[in-house]
Amino acid sequence: MLKVDGLNVRYGKSHVVFDFSAEVKDGETLAVLGRNGAGKTTTIRGITGLLPGASGRVIVGGTDMSGWPAHRRTRRGLAYVPSGARCFPNLTVVENLDIASHANGDGWTWNKDRIWELFPRLESLRHNLAGGLSGGERQMLAVSRALMGNPRVMLLDEPTEGLAPVLVQSIAALLATLKSTGVSILLAEQNHQMALRVADRAAFIEKGRIVEVLPASRARDSEVLHRILGV
Amino acid sequence: MTPGQVLLFTVGGLSNAAYLFIVAAGLSLVFGALRVINMAHGSLYMIAAFVTVVIANQLGAGLGFWGGLLVAVAVAGAIGGVVEVLVLRRVYGREHLVQLLGTYAVSLVVAGGVRIVFGPNYRTVASPIPGHLDLAGYSYASYSLFMIAGAIVIGAGVWTMLYRTNLGRNIRAAVSDPDLLNATGVNVTRLYTTVFVIGAGLAGLGGSIVAPSQAVGSSIDTDVLVLAFAISVIGGLGSIVGSAVGALIVGMVISFGLVIPQTNPFALAFVFIIMTAVLIVRPRGLFGRPES
Ligand SMILES: Nc1ncnc2c1ncn2[C@@H]1O[C@H](COP(=O)(O)OP(=O)(O)O)[C@@H](O)[C@H]1O
Ligand SMILES: [Mg+2]
Repeated sequence: MLKVDGLNVRYGKSHVVFDFSAEVKDGETLAVLGRNGAGKTTTIRGITGLLPGASGRVIVGGTDMSGWPAHRRTRRGLAYVPSGARCFPNLTVVENLDIASHANGDGWTWNKDRIWELFPRLESLRHNLAGGLSGGERQMLAVSRALMGNPRVMLLDEPTEGLAPVLVQSIAALLATLKSTGVSILLAEQNHQMALRVADRAAFIEKGRIVEVLPASRARDSEVLHRILGV
Repeated sequence: MTPGQVLLFTVGGLSNAAYLFIVAAGLSLVFGALRVINMAHGSLYMIAAFVTVVIANQLGAGLGFWGGLLVAVAVAGAIGGVVEVLVLRRVYGREHLVQLLGTYAVSLVVAGGVRIVFGPNYRTVASPIPGHLDLAGYSYASYSLFMIAGAIVIGAGVWTMLYRTNLGRNIRAAVSDPDLLNATGVNVTRLYTTVFVIGAGLAGLGGSIVAPSQAVGSSIDTDVLVLAFAISVIGGLGSIVGSAVGALIVGMVISFGLVIPQTNPFALAFVFIIMTAVLIVRPRGLFGRPES
């Protein structure tokens, strides 16, 4: 379970995220939807502990992580998949996975064999440098790296950005699988169709504030979706 | 030049390259991971050289030197750790100029401290491996050959650390994306301290190993720093292979430059002419990667 309470983020003097609060239960997916510049990335990075200008409470699976440095949050089950399929380009695929492997012990553990089952393509590339992979392959690797930490909570920042439709489908299928294992997912997307297909609820943000939270089924043709995303 | 002389000056060049490589590798390792040019790198080298000389002369050349070397490397590493925590942590992510000034300030403090503690006189220490090898009419100090072998072992050790251990994998990851590394569960703050301590330890190792073959005085910090920079520029900052190749070039140029009468006055100038040429033709150095 992820609980965020009163998250505020500032870059120096400029206040970007205002009082973001949300709860994502085990096996639940919350989509965070908003236009470019609305504050989705900043919200996610604020939760990870990577931004010095973030304040507010972050609780993962009952553990209050407020004030913890990012690496400690990750080790205790909070995984972050940044936008742009970020990997370590000068490390091999295997190294990109090993570097994230610090089993937190309880229950279901991810390892490379499971990753190869999920993405057979990555196994055949395992000794290649990540920098030489295609965008889709790097996205698989970015998600796999997050999984290697055995997360309870995953924060994904536009994981389908720039991917071919068939890969968008496989990311959506993967998110559905993860959900069924009990992971809490917070999914920032501009691709609202895909996001609303896999999410249970959607939080709409505009200029750094949540303006509405709706069940996914009602969000699909809501007034707020049209107004905020201009669709 | 006779073949015997060529061999003599080649070995001279290799022993120059040996200690210079150890020092430059530390500078390069720190720059690669932390993106900080450490102006105090030569200071750590100098401190280690003095510590080695003092301990070795107290305890007697044989065992005293090896004990001195261990203590000197530990002292250099420890001072490096303190400098990282107190100085560098405040300047990461700032402009290179701020970092240069910060570490330059440390080098001035050390230079002043060394002059107060050890005085202005040059000091020497007897070689811990006396004896020599006669070959083709010339005699080679056993210690020079030891230095060359030592540098090869240390180079292999650094390479193995970087490419065959988890620590090295994390260092390589920090070179490309420290932010992502943090979010992957690695304590990057602690990793930076570790890298800086290793870099400082290499500076110390260089200073300690060179002590029996050169006079140790309070200006060797800048002497070695200037050469280590030239090596890093030629080989490419951040690349261990580049440090080795750069050290070989600089070591050989100095050795041959000094013995040929016509080039003797310009031997050091040649190093910087080559450095300038590399900067013009290939600004990132022979083995460096462009800064992203
Ligand atoms: N590093 C930064 N420094 C200052 N302002 C930033 C920084 N990153 C983002 N912003 C600003 O914060 C706001 C939200 O950006 P972001 O979180 O990236 O939005 P989104 O992910 O929804 O596109 C934007 O106005 C953006 O210009
Ligand atoms: Mg964004």
